[in-house]
Amino acid sequence: MKNNEFDVIIIGGGITGAGTQRDCAMRGLRTLLIERSDIATGATGRNHGLLHSGARYAVHDGESARECIRENRILRHIAAHCVEETEGLFISLPEDDPSYQQTFISRCLEAGIEARAIDPAEAIRIEPSVNPALTGAVVVPDGSVDPFRLCAANMLDSKLRGGQVVLYTEVTGFVREGDAITGVRTRNVQTGEERTYYAPVTVNAAGIWGQKMADLAGVPLRMFPAKGSLLVFAHRINNVVLNRCRKPSNADILVPGDTVCVIGTTSTRIPFEECDHVAVTPDEVNLLISEGAKLAPSLASTRILRAYAGVRPLVSADNDPSGRNISRGIVCLDHEQRDGLKGFVTITGGKLMTYRLMAEMATDVVCRKLGVERSCETASTPLPGSEGKSLRDVAEKIWENPTTAQKAMTGRLGSNAARLKTEDRYDQALVCECEEVTAGEIESAIERLDITTLTDLRRRTRLGMGTCQGQLCTCRAAHLLAVARGCAQKEREDMRDFLSERWKGCLPIGWGDTLREAEYTQWVYKHVLGL
Amino acid sequence: MKFDTVIIGGGLAGLTAGICLQKARRTTAVISTGQSALHFFSGAFETLGNDARTIELFGEAGIRLHYREGWRLMPLGSFREATLSLEDIRFFEERKVGRKALILNFLGYSDFFPEFIAEGLRSTGTACRTGILRIPEVEVLRLSPSEVRSVHIARAMDKVWEKVVQEIRLLHRDEDVIILPQVFGLSDPTVPGQLQGAVPAKVIFAGTLPPSVPGIRTQWQLRRRYEVLGGTFLLGDEAREAVFDGPVLKQILTRNLGAHPLEADHFILASGSFFSKGLSSSPTGIREPLFGLDVSASSDRNAWYDADFHADQPYMGFGVLTDSRLHALKDGRPLPNLFAAGSILGATRPELGSGAGLAIRSAFAITDFLTA
Repeated sequence: MKNNEFDVIIIGGGITGAGTQRDCAMRGLRTLLIERSDIATGATGRNHGLLHSGARYAVHDGESARECIRENRILRHIAAHCVEETEGLFISLPEDDPSYQQTFISRCLEAGIEARAIDPAEAIRIEPSVNPALTGAVVVPDGSVDPFRLCAANMLDSKLRGGQVVLYTEVTGFVREGDAITGVRTRNVQTGEERTYYAPVTVNAAGIWGQKMADLAGVPLRMFPAKGSLLVFAHRINNVVLNRCRKPSNADILVPGDTVCVIGTTSTRIPFEECDHVAVTPDEVNLLISEGAKLAPSLASTRILRAYAGVRPLVSADNDPSGRNISRGIVCLDHEQRDGLKGFVTITGGKLMTYRLMAEMATDVVCRKLGVERSCETASTPLPGSEGKSLRDVAEKIWENPTTAQKAMTGRLGSNAARLKTEDRYDQALVCECEEVTAGEIESAIERLDITTLTDLRRRTRLGMGTCQGQLCTCRAAHLLAVARGCAQKEREDMRDFLSERWKGCLPIGWGDTLREAEYTQWVYKHVLGL
Repeated sequence: MKFDTVIIGGGLAGLTAGICLQKARRTTAVISTGQSALHFFSGAFETLGNDARTIELFGEAGIRLHYREGWRLMPLGSFREATLSLEDIRFFEERKVGRKALILNFLGYSDFFPEFIAEGLRSTGTACRTGILRIPEVEVLRLSPSEVRSVHIARAMDKVWEKVVQEIRLLHRDEDVIILPQVFGLSDPTVPGQLQGAVPAKVIFAGTLPPSVPGIRTQWQLRRRYEVLGGTFLLGDEAREAVFDGPVLKQILTRNLGAHPLEADHFILASGSFFSKGLSSSPTGIREPLFGLDVSASSDRNAWYDADFHADQPYMGFGVLTDSRLHALKDGRPLPNLFAAGSILGATRPELGSGAGLAIRSAFAITDFLTA
């Protein structure tokens, strides 16, 4: 077997692709994952990071609700180091329909979601930031999940099982033999190098860009891009997920995660051509702040760190080209049955919460095509970082007296933290002070986690994601990369790109302390460093 | 407390104004929150030119400036045109530092960038080698991971800079240039010169990430000079409230002095730009927070920024509006005894320059007017 031949090729390095590769690898297949950018750069990295209990869907979409709660329980087990068990509150405000709460609770219970009504005083005790005008609240098993970490852990596991991952490589076409897709033509977007890979089955897990892949393969697939904008706040206002107990609407979920909290989302249909260039508008910012403040009033006066937007990969459920029948549910298409094209499978729709189930469905189709009979084990096998012992045990084994930086690292890496460089004090030097990322963690990431740019490094370590948005750590980390790779000239450009990327998210909310920090960053890089 | 002039802001503009007025035997007070843009001062007085008056004024404070046409080395290995600078900064006739350079850094110090400097210098034809300095007094700083910064190392170097000389002697081969981080001479400005005298190659002190050691030293020297001249430096205090009599500013109330206002005939607002909180911004506008002065700023937030981070940012040009004498404007009318100096002016007075040049020129202009 040649080194460009596989059992299955997966297109897309988001959570769906990463999950599908892991499932395929666990069933003994030789896998290749191709991603045109870095991991988790599409909708995977651009959502709330909410570990849905399913309660949000209970009233109008019982099937999604049941999927969510099942996957919620699975992720708490297999991805413990990516999940924070915060719980969630669905609060009723005076302007909300008072009868909704009862319907909500009974539908939750029907879907198997624990839902318990509490009185307003109890809600304020559990979550002091909640709007004190609330008239009632329901506790549900919501949580938060770090999608970067989850995606990286799936990919790491695939690689441990022999899977291959190629990043910054786009699919330019397919190899066809008669009525079958038998391979994928690619081009490295950085070097321009062209390569062809072969496999009897290719899985299209490219999210919203799946439409383009289907076009290239010559099968119809109609996506309906919906932009969702979100705001990140500079610290955690809340420690419990806050939702509105009413029909789902704009800006009605506030999720705490890591050092920040996130309000979202809006929903705007956009033309397909805009998917690669979505930006947050001032109107969206105003809406997110005013609606968000109804959940937690202090949000209106809390510093905003960034604004960002993602594109939901909504798809028409059947062959309906009008888009009237758009589904938020999972769509798994065997194009052999649907269009007579062999060796091509599309997995799309769905959500972050149900990525594992989507992967299972896609892998089942792949295995059926390949005649492989092993069953899915992803629901019970922990991801790397979540194996065995509690994080506290891991931390204690590595460090007698963990510093806050070491606690932050254990939080990010789970049991993988045991493999970090910590032997001397140099490794413990802080590179990113906001997020407490050490030189040792950066160097381990450079060695092991497929890093090409500073932005890749950020996705894997949270470097530059804190209150100063990369003011000093940009240059420090660029220098570490320059030393490790001997590429100082490239890193100078990389630094410029990283600062531009950070500014893009600050610009829509550029006032107050954000503007102060931005001005300081301008001074440091233009005048002091002379970049 | 009654003064001739009260100055709000203890950065380059405020201290320069204070020194000029004290020299002219006026009584003054400077209200300083402590930090200023001097803490990230590169050491180069960009936009000022070869200004004899500045050289003399700073020389009297023990700060030696020099000016020569040529180039200076930047912390990431590029070159910029020379300008009036602290003597810590070395000038070169062409964009080349020498034949061979040895670039040395302290083990574990991440705010200095030998690899970038080496790459930059190699592209101009200088061979480069990097090396590591192991100094016990610096190693010990790493017990706390956030204390290996320029000032911490500089404090140690005040005492043990000679150990660096010994290390250099061990590491040096045939290089004609040695490049070190700019962490020498924090409390004693003669240290960089002594160090140069003790090693067998031309030494360049290259910039680090902030805080800037020469910048902090400059602020100390200016403040000491100001106090020696009899000025009252209110460190760690903040102007909170202004009392007017019609258009005339009578008093400033500060956080620390509570019910004891500072009275003066004249006031100079040198409170800096956004970073120093001389200007403040909210979703609905940009204002000068203490007096509500007129500000040159678009009310349309979209016009504040350029989407390209590396382009000139419009918001950085916003500033307090003034008349030709630098009287601050409020509701379109100049206030008779309130002046604005330094970066709070933004780019409203382009003929005065920007950065350090603007700070010094505007301070001179106001104090000349007050002492005429």
